[in-house]
Amino acid sequence: MRVLVVEDDAETAEYICSSLKALGYIVKHASDGKQGFLDALDTDFDVMVVDRMLPGLDGLSLVKSVRSAKVATPILFLSALSGLNDRVEGLEAGADDYLVKPFAFSELSARLSALTRRPPMQAEETRIQIADLEIDLIRHSVSRAGADIPLQPREFRLLSYLMKNADRVVTRTMLLEAVWEFHFDPNTNVVETHISRLRNKVDKPFETSLIHTVRGAGYSLHA
Amino acid sequence: MHNTNPNGPSKLRTSIRLSMQFSFLYAVLSALVFAMAYLFTQYEVRDWVSDEMRGDAQTLAAIYEQGGQDALISRVDALAEVSFENARIFQLTDAEGTIISGNILAALDRPVPDFIAAQAIALDGTVHDEVEGYWMREDRIGLYTLLQGSGDHIIGEILEALSVALGFGYLAVVILGLIFGVRVGRLTEQRITAISSTLSDVSNGQLDARIPTDGSAGDDFSRVAFEINKMLGQTKRLLRSQEQITNDIAHDMRTPLQHLRQRLETLRSSTSVEPEDISASLEQTEEIIATFNSLLRIAQIEASDRKEHFESCDMAQVIADVVEIFEPSAEDQGIKLTADLPQGSLNVIGDRSLLTQMVSNLVENAIKHCPKGTKVSVSAQTRAGQFVMQVSDDGPGVKEEDATQVFQRFFRGEKSRSSAGNGLGLALVKAIADMHNAPVSLVDSAKGATFEVLFSQPPFT
Repeated sequence: MRVLVVEDDAETAEYICSSLKALGYIVKHASDGKQGFLDALDTDFDVMVVDRMLPGLDGLSLVKSVRSAKVATPILFLSALSGLNDRVEGLEAGADDYLVKPFAFSELSARLSALTRRPPMQAEETRIQIADLEIDLIRHSVSRAGADIPLQPREFRLLSYLMKNADRVVTRTMLLEAVWEFHFDPNTNVVETHISRLRNKVDKPFETSLIHTVRGAGYSLHA
Repeated sequence: MHNTNPNGPSKLRTSIRLSMQFSFLYAVLSALVFAMAYLFTQYEVRDWVSDEMRGDAQTLAAIYEQGGQDALISRVDALAEVSFENARIFQLTDAEGTIISGNILAALDRPVPDFIAAQAIALDGTVHDEVEGYWMREDRIGLYTLLQGSGDHIIGEILEALSVALGFGYLAVVILGLIFGVRVGRLTEQRITAISSTLSDVSNGQLDARIPTDGSAGDDFSRVAFEINKMLGQTKRLLRSQEQITNDIAHDMRTPLQHLRQRLETLRSSTSVEPEDISASLEQTEEIIATFNSLLRIAQIEASDRKEHFESCDMAQVIADVVEIFEPSAEDQGIKLTADLPQGSLNVIGDRSLLTQMVSNLVENAIKHCPKGTKVSVSAQTRAGQFVMQVSDDGPGVKEEDATQVFQRFFRGEKSRSSAGNGLGLALVKAIADMHNAPVSLVDSAKGATFEVLFSQPPFT
């Protein structure tokens, strides 16, 4: 996996780059917007991390320029801004995800991992199977070891998101955004409770558990 | 005009200069009006004199009709006789031009002009010394010709009296106007000085300085002073509240930062570091960031007047979603969370994400403060053209002395001080509600607490 990190703050850049390298990514760092733009056009990356405030060319313009140059590489916006419309503006400019500083590295890596997973549009899968758990995205049905598991619509959305990101870590905030469209973090442990309900239906009656808690990061569905 | 200082000595102050200019303009206008009055009067008096003569001619013609030649002659004689000092002059001539009657002794050259100098006419008796000439009129009565004239001294006397009156009047008007104008200018200037010196005091940091007012809210200056004082009051309040927020932040951020620092210092000096210690530190960091984000968000919402991202949102859906996400957590705590919604959608214009957060915070607040076995219900209904959303519970309720403070930043009731939370949830609710022109309040209820948000601002259909 090759990742381009466009970040002007040396300490943050060093932190992101070394942590990503430790996860096995091949990392290229650009410290200003112009260099970042040239790098983005020059090399084929799997994902890009772009800071919003950059010298030379600001992040928003960088993303717009990259998109108008027909580069479809997934982009994650990093921003110290958290204004009411900043997230929407970032996504409208062509970014695929948005993360506000300060962030936990586990959040960044989980989101990057989810972005690189994205399949091409035409090959959207309709059925996913992990071990003996099977989900049909068209019929909205779930079965495990041949037995149907009836789920509430929101539980289905939660499970399908976990299945689509199988073997990867998904964080609480990713689930809140993707499943409930909550763009803020409630203090109550709502995600934990919903996961626990889902486990009661999907994991508990069976011998092996598929939904795992990743300490300090989130959840992961894998065999 | 290089002197830009308005109070400079080489230049008259604006208000005085203006009032002088107005006085001058007033004087010119008055002169014009007075001159017109003079000319008009002159014209009217002349007109009156000529009407008089025409009237006399008609009377004489009537007398001739009825009494014939003798009556006419004797009447003209009588008129000439009673004319004091030849104020009026007459001459009656027959067809051959022979003078038959009147006080004009010699025949005049024809045609007779409208005005003849007194010296040019031979008259019977003395002439009033102010008469300079006569306004003349000629009429035919049967075969006779009547020539009559009216001395100009009447006109002269009237106009003389008028000139004197107008002249004195004009002088009085100009002098009074000048005095009044300068005085008004002075007063205006004094009041402007009062305003500008107050404003300069304020900009020098004296926030309590106010423009002195006489109490009577009459004229424009009092209104301006009143408005400026009101604005100064508002500015002071805002600054105080800003100060309050800064103090709050300092206080409520400092304590967790202090804890974090203590923890890290302990870790530095300890020989072995347990992963739990680091996790605890990270959690503490998360809490600080969360508090900071909430504060920032409240500030952003309060400062934002941009409603361009507002769209139509179905509040029934928003409420249903929020209740759905919190329902399992509530149930785990032994609280029954329900939604009581009417059929169909309840659209309001707003920011969907913020409205979701508002409902979410209200529900979270209720769940947090309610013990096991209680009920929390979110209801929505239209009432008298308004849309009312209520989050009510049958828990312990809010203490009366706390009721006015629940929406304040960092306010935490006695009981909730020990529990988790940063005391910003309801402050955020209020900020979002205010942004949507939807007042939020804690309403009286028989048991527990009921929070109500009232969407009265159209359109919310």
